[in-house]
Amino acid sequence: MPASPPLDDDTLRVLIPRLRRFARSLATDPAAADDLVQATLERALTRGDTRRDEAALQPWLFSVLYRQFVDDHRRAARWKRIASLFATEDAHRPPMPDQVFDARTSLSAFTRLPADQRALLMLVSVEGLGYREAAEVLGIPIGTVMSRLSRARQALRAMDDENDPAAPVLRALR
Amino acid sequence: MNIDALHPSPDDSELHAYVDGRLPPARRAQVEAWLTAHPAHAVQVEGWKQDAERLRTLHAHPEHWSSNAALEPAQVRRRLGARRRARLGIAAAMLLAFGVGGGVGWQARDMRPGQAALPMADAVAAYRQYVDADAPPMEFDASRADDLQRWLHRHFGEAGRVPDLRAAGYRLMGGRLLSTEQGAAAMLVYQDGSGARVGFYLRPRGQLRGQGQRRDGDLLARYWSVRDTSFALVSNAADAAASGLPRLLDNG
Repeated sequence: MPASPPLDDDTLRVLIPRLRRFARSLATDPAAADDLVQATLERALTRGDTRRDEAALQPWLFSVLYRQFVDDHRRAARWKRIASLFATEDAHRPPMPDQVFDARTSLSAFTRLPADQRALLMLVSVEGLGYREAAEVLGIPIGTVMSRLSRARQALRAMDDENDPAAPVLRALR
Repeated sequence: MNIDALHPSPDDSELHAYVDGRLPPARRAQVEAWLTAHPAHAVQVEGWKQDAERLRTLHAHPEHWSSNAALEPAQVRRRLGARRRARLGIAAAMLLAFGVGGGVGWQARDMRPGQAALPMADAVAAYRQYVDADAPPMEFDASRADDLQRWLHRHFGEAGRVPDLRAAGYRLMGGRLLSTEQGAAAMLVYQDGSGARVGFYLRPRGQLRGQGQRRDGDLLARYWSVRDTSFALVSNAADAAASGLPRLLDNG
């Protein structure tokens, strides 16, 4: 068998909190986020033998997680399209008043960003990845990283400004 | 002195690189100086910095979140292993179904999860269902003993013979074919002069190791295996006459 040592549990365990954090910035709720992490770990443990050094491991795990998220999302979107073919009109009703209220108050500006922008901000600002690493994780060219980063930061600023600047803007993620 | 004349103005990307601390030190100083000279941009960049800082604060210390046991690597490995074995089990079942199971099928079958916890529990269950006097008629009654013998032989080879228990006073009432997790099985029903019944059960060997006996409610099951076949003799626990039967069933 090839020389690369199999992925050991301790190495992996150290990275789990960061994977959960990244997942929660993407998924709708903590349970869905942990499901993403679980799927990622399963992938890592079935395919991780081919991974080399620990430095490359983290970005690779992030990329696995992100791809999983995007795939799930696409599947859900496809399903929604199919379901809409059978749906009655009330499936398209406008959001309920309390949902609107929610979006303005408890939901943070960050969580209202598109998922691809959230992912990039997490990688760059929170995980401290370089632009090239972030590009690899998200599977996009570096030029796209820069333009997306610019859009994300401007959108975040704009939303902050429209909120009460004194109020805490971001919901604490627990 | 106009600072723009000395150094090129930073573009959008450079401003973000500045926020993220990704500029080389020399260029960083230049951008800093440029921002001092351009307060509107400085405000914008400061906002980005604050947002990033806030993001970091809010996402700090994920290691303090309540842990999720399902994410423990050992647990993930176990689940993967169980899933792999389940797949193997399905593959084995398919191999068996197509009659080409051979060695691979039998080996894989032993690894399937969720085997009955008690040895030969299926034999006892089959007894309860089919051996009671009021059980529905059996597909092989005593008049078709030869057919039953043929069927057993086809499925169990040498081990598949209809035991002759007449020496102990039991005569064959009939047989019933069953399907179990391990494959086709048969329950043969015998009865003695007093009307006491015993069930002789055979099926492909599963995880059963060795031999033994156990009480299950009012029933007594004695079980053993010979090569690839497991046997059980199930009788009423109070039936003393039945205790001598295993000697007659010696399949060795």
